[in-house]
Amino acid sequence: MPDRELIHQYLKNLSKYLSRLDKSDAQEVIREIESHILDALEIQENSGRLSDPQEILDGFGEPRELANQYVEHLLKGTPPPIGFKAIQNVKKGATNTLYYSMGFLGFGISVLLITIGLAKLFMPGEIGVWSAAQGNSIMITFSEHVYPDSAELLGYWLSPIAIGLGVGIAQLTKSVLRVLKQSIQ
Amino acid sequence: MTKQQSLNEKWDVQLRKGTLELVILAALKERTLYGLELLKLLHSFETMKITEGTLYPLMDRLKRDELVNAFWRQEGDSRPRKYYQLTQQGLIKLEALTNRWRQSVEDIEHLIQNSNPQTTHPKGE
Repeated sequence: MPDRELIHQYLKNLSKYLSRLDKSDAQEVIREIESHILDALEIQENSGRLSDPQEILDGFGEPRELANQYVEHLLKGTPPPIGFKAIQNVKKGATNTLYYSMGFLGFGISVLLITIGLAKLFMPGEIGVWSAAQGNSIMITFSEHVYPDSAELLGYWLSPIAIGLGVGIAQLTKSVLRVLKQSIQ
Repeated sequence: MTKQQSLNEKWDVQLRKGTLELVILAALKERTLYGLELLKLLHSFETMKITEGTLYPLMDRLKRDELVNAFWRQEGDSRPRKYYQLTQQGLIKLEALTNRWRQSVEDIEHLIQNSNPQTTHPKGE
């Protein structure tokens, strides 16, 4: 990978992990580290050595670990008053529960939508979104006994829409879990 | 790496954990330095070879604690650099930590000097 690309990729990753800081604070961190890397690279080149950006980046460590040190104070927050330590444990337990519930719910919905999308391709007559005869309710069915006089909406479009939504929700769940994981660490 | 080198390195790491703040504040006493300059200054001492990944987040914390202030400056054709200098609060903390450090060194030195079992009496007696 060319030097500049390697540095760019590192700073991009760092920026991603610094997203919990104010935007201006995160930009300042990136700007300072970029300035250091470019200076250090110049020193390497001026000393007649072959430039080695990886060596400089190694000094900073993994972007995620470096960013964690910058956001540490945000994660720790204000320490609880003496005698209130138990609250921290309750909070942590709640966060763990939240983490797993969020994962279960998010990925559950995602799997269900993708299953509906795929099943529509194989069982088009039984799966679909139907508008009831009176026109005041919509049903998603998984049955061979569809309500009489109801009209199917979407048709085969249900497949890509359901699969797309499912993948979207899975991605969203993954992002939310990543943020939650940082706060329970 | 020899056993002695490995022992030295472990000792340096342990000692740095407790003294790094004092080291940085002392390095900035009557000096205004940017990150790379500060790092090079520290690297010129055998026991203070910290990494970039340790220095910069620490500078960020010292700035948040108002012990140092930082500003961007561009000199000549060079790229802009972020310079650090001690605040009044930083100077006061440096003095307090320096006194504590000297007290520790004195105490440890006293123990080392008085290793003879017959001189087990506490310091000052």
